Amino acid sequence: MTYETIIGIEIHCELKTRSKMFSGAPVTYGAAPNTAVNEIDLGHPGVLPSLNKTAVEKALQACMALNLTIDPLVRFDRKNYFYADLPKGFQITQQFYPIGKDGWLDIETDQGSRRIRINRLHMEEDTAKQYHLEDASWIDFNRAGVPLVEIVSEADLRSAQEAMAYVDKLRNILVYLDVTDGKMEEGSLRCDINISLRPEGTSTFGTKTEIKNINSISNIEKAVASEIARQTALLEAGEAVEQATRRYDDVAKTTVMMRKKEGSVDYKYFPEPNIPPIRLPQAWIESIRSKLPELPDARHARYKGLGLSDYDAGQLIQNKAISDFFDQLLPLVKSVKLAANWCLGDILANLSQDQLTHRTYALCLSELAAMINALADQTISSKQAKEIFGHLVEGKGYAETVKALNIVQVSDTSVLAALVEEVLNENPQSIVDYHAGKDRALGFLVGQLMKKSKGQANPALSSELLKAQLATRKPQ
Amino acid sequence: MTLHTLKAMFDPATRVDHAIQAAHAFQPALNAMVSFIDPQDQLEALTHIDPSAPFYGIPVALKDLVNMKDTRTTGSSKILDNYISPYDATITRKLREAGAIIIGKASCDTFGMGGTNKTAATGPVHNPYDLSRMSGGSSGGSAALVAAGVVPMAIGTDTGDSIRKPAAFTGIVGLKPTYGRISRYGVIPYASSLDHVGCFTRNVTDAAATLKVLAGRDDKDMTSSTLPVEDYPALLKGDLKGKRIGILTNVIDSISNPTVRTQFEALVEQLSAQGALVTRVTLNDALMKALLPTYYIIANAEATANHANLDSLRFGVQVPGADNEETMRLSRTAGFGPLLRKRFVIGSYALFVENQERLFRKAQRVRRLVVEDLKAALSQLDVIIAPASGGVAPLLEGGPKTDELSGEYLIAENYMVMGNFSGYPSITIPMGFENGLPLGINLTAKAFDDANLLDIAYGIETLTGLKNLVAKVNA
Repeated sequence: MTYETIIGIEIHCELKTRSKMFSGAPVTYGAAPNTAVNEIDLGHPGVLPSLNKTAVEKALQACMALNLTIDPLVRFDRKNYFYADLPKGFQITQQFYPIGKDGWLDIETDQGSRRIRINRLHMEEDTAKQYHLEDASWIDFNRAGVPLVEIVSEADLRSAQEAMAYVDKLRNILVYLDVTDGKMEEGSLRCDINISLRPEGTSTFGTKTEIKNINSISNIEKAVASEIARQTALLEAGEAVEQATRRYDDVAKTTVMMRKKEGSVDYKYFPEPNIPPIRLPQAWIESIRSKLPELPDARHARYKGLGLSDYDAGQLIQNKAISDFFDQLLPLVKSVKLAANWCLGDILANLSQDQLTHRTYALCLSELAAMINALADQTISSKQAKEIFGHLVEGKGYAETVKALNIVQVSDTSVLAALVEEVLNENPQSIVDYHAGKDRALGFLVGQLMKKSKGQANPALSSELLKAQLATRKPQ
Repeated sequence: MTLHTLKAMFDPATRVDHAIQAAHAFQPALNAMVSFIDPQDQLEALTHIDPSAPFYGIPVALKDLVNMKDTRTTGSSKILDNYISPYDATITRKLREAGAIIIGKASCDTFGMGGTNKTAATGPVHNPYDLSRMSGGSSGGSAALVAAGVVPMAIGTDTGDSIRKPAAFTGIVGLKPTYGRISRYGVIPYASSLDHVGCFTRNVTDAAATLKVLAGRDDKDMTSSTLPVEDYPALLKGDLKGKRIGILTNVIDSISNPTVRTQFEALVEQLSAQGALVTRVTLNDALMKALLPTYYIIANAEATANHANLDSLRFGVQVPGADNEETMRLSRTAGFGPLLRKRFVIGSYALFVENQERLFRKAQRVRRLVVEDLKAALSQLDVIIAPASGGVAPLLEGGPKTDELSGEYLIAENYMVMGNFSGYPSITIPMGFENGLPLGINLTAKAFDDANLLDIAYGIETLTGLKNLVAKVNA
C-alpha cells in the first residue's frame, strides 16, 4: 500500500535581544552557568514580569515576513506545570491570542513552488537548561526567560524534503530579519516535527509521533525520512504506530523513543494578571513594516536581475553573511559574475562564518575588488589572482602584493611580438587547428606564451597579438 | 503621635531603639513580629538622606511578604522559613530613600491567605486591646504593631480586606489605595489581580504622607500607573460640605449588632450636619452575596499559579528526594499547611479545562458585573461608606461559630472585597468603641480619586476626634 505522509512543524526560535523576555538579565550564549540570571529569571518570591519591547518588535517582523495577521492587542497567558527547568512553575506565553495568525510561506519543491500555511506565531519565554548526569541533574538558568517565538505550521508538508525546505527557508528568513541567529546546533532554533502516515486517498489522520532535538537542517531530512520508513514498516506489518515523542539519533541514523504521550496534559491556561493587555500603536507597527530588511526571495530576484544564474543567486542567498559580503563588493567590481564566483569559492573557503558574520576579517574589500577588476581586465591571470588573494586575505594591499610578488605585466608589444613569433613557429599544428575553427587552439597558444613569459605576459594583449599574427598565417 | 511629632521628639537612633524595645516587650503578648532587623546599617545610611525626608529616622515595619535585601522574608510560611531576600521590593527602596528605618517583618496569614492571622507559621497575633481576640488578617501583625504604638506606620497588603479589616479591629487607619498606585514589585503575591500594597497608620495625615512616598509608576510592575503622584497630605482640607456620601444599605441592613448600627447612624447624622450630601445606595443584593465565592475562585486560581515557584529547588526549605521532581513534591507537601493545600486544590480545580468556563471564567464575569454596579453607584458620589465589620474583633478561640452562608457574614464581613475587584481606593478609619474594643468605618472612592478619599476620611477623623489611638497592652 502507498501511504501519504502528513507533517506539521513547530519551531521554537530564540530572539536576538540583549535582555530577556520579562527581565533585564542579559541574553548570552556560552556564559558560565547561572551567571546571566536575576531574581526574575529564578522565580524568586515577589517578582513581576516586564515585557521586552525589542522582543515584541522582532516578533512583529517575523509575523510580517511570514504573512501573518497581526493582533495589535498583545496579551499573555500562564501555562501551568511543575518542572525543574521552569522556575516560576508556569511559563508566560500567548495561548489565547497569538500576536500573529493565519500566514504562509512558499517553498520550492521538486514539483515547483508550494504554499505552506502557518497557523500561528506567538511569544513566550524559554525554560532553563537541564543536564542529566548519571547521579545528578544540573540546571543552568541562563536560558530561563530568553525570548522565544513559536511558529506553528499547518499539517501541510508531505515529505522529508519539504520539511527540510520549510525549516531551511523559514530559518533563512528569520536570520535575514536579524530576529534570531538561527543556530540549530546551539539550540537557538529548535523544531518539533509531527509525522503521521495514512493510506493514499484517505482523509483521516493516522497516529502521529513528534521528533525533537534535531541539531541541523540536513538532519531534518534524514530524521523525517527514517521516521517515515519506520512508520511505513510498522503499518506494512499490520502494527500500530505508538503516539510518542522521539528524538533523532545522529549516530544510529534513526529516531528513538523519548517518552510516550499518555493523554493530554491540562496546563490550566489563564490570562497573565501581571501584564495588562497592551495596544500596539498602528504607527509603530507600520514603521517596523516600512523598515523590514530585504528578504531572501527579493535578494534572489535582484541577483538574477544582475545577470547571475538561478543557481549562483540561490547559493549566495543561502548564506546571509556571504550574501551581505557580496553586496558590499558589488559597487566596487566590474564583473558581477567574477565577484559571485570569488565569494562562493575562495572567500567562503578562507573566511569563517563567524568572521563573515561579525566582519572581523583582515581582508580589505576595495583591495579584493582591485584584484577582481584586474582579473576581469585580464591584466592578471587566474593563477596570479589566487596567489595575490593569499596575501589580500592577510590584510595586504593589491598593489603592494603585486609588487612584492614581482608580478610584472609584460605589455610591451615588441617583447610580446617576439614571443608570439616563437610560439607560432613552434606550434604549426595549432595554427592549422585555429583556422579549422578549433577554439581551444587559441587558448593553448596563449598558455604556451604565458609559460614562456613565466606568467608575466599580459594575457589579453597576448591574445590580441596572437590573433593578429594568426590572421597573417592562414594555411594555403 | 504623628510622624511629624515623633520626628520632633527624639533623634533617629533613640526613636528606633524605643520601637525595637517596645516590639520586643510586646512580643510575648502580641506575637506580632516574625523577624527583627538590626537597624545599624540603615541608621548609618541616614547620612546620605535629607533630614527633611518624610520618614527620616522613623521606625517602620514591613508585612512579612515584603522583600528587603539580605533580610529574612518568610511570608509567615513554613516553606520560606529560611528565605533571605536577594533583592529589595520597590516599596522597600522607596521607604529607605525617604529615610525610614525598617525594624522587622510583621506576622501575617501565610502568604496573605486568610482573615484571622491564625494561619501564620509563628502562630496567631493577639489584639492589643484584648489579647484573647484577633487582630484580624491577613496583615494582623502590622496592625497590632501600629495600634500598640510600636511604630507609627507599618506596611500591609490587601487582597480581600487584609488591611481594612485589621485596621477596624485595632482602632487605626488602614489605607488600600487604587490598584496600580503603589508598585507590587518585590511583594510576595497572593492573587495578582486583587493584591494591593497599603499602609497602617494612627491618623489619616500619616496615611496620606505614606502614600505620597510609596506611590508612582514602577517599570518593574507593568500594572503600575503612570498618572502623576499627588501631594496627598497637602490636599487634606477636611471640609465635608458638599461631599456626596452614599450609605451602602446592603451592609448596614445585614448587620445585627445594635451598637454598630447606632454608632454608624449617629455618624451619618453628623456628616449631614457638616453639610455632606448623604444618600443611600443599594447595590445588587445577589451580586453582594456572590462576592465571597467569586473572590475565592479568582484568588485561589491566581494563588495556585503564583506559588508554583515555591518548589524548594532554588530557595526555600528543602526535603531532598531521589530526583528534582521528588524533591519538589516532598518539599511542597511538607512546606504547606492543610489550609494552603486546600486553597491550591480549589484554585486548580477552577482552572481545569472542564471547569474553567463555569468556575474561573464565570467568576471573572461576576467580578465585572460587581465592578459595573459599584461604578454606576459611585458615578454620582464621592465615596460609599459602611461599617468595616459587623462587630468588634472576634475571639481567637471559643467564639460563637460563624454561619458562613448567612447574609450577615457574606455581606457585612466580606463586602470590602469590592475594592479589590474594582481596584478602587478604600480606607478604614476608627468609628468608635464597643466595650473598649474598636469599631471601624470604611470609605471607598472612584479609581485614582485617592486624594479625595483621604480628604473625606480626614474630615470624618476631625469630626470624630478618633485619631492617634494607642492601645494599652497588658504585656
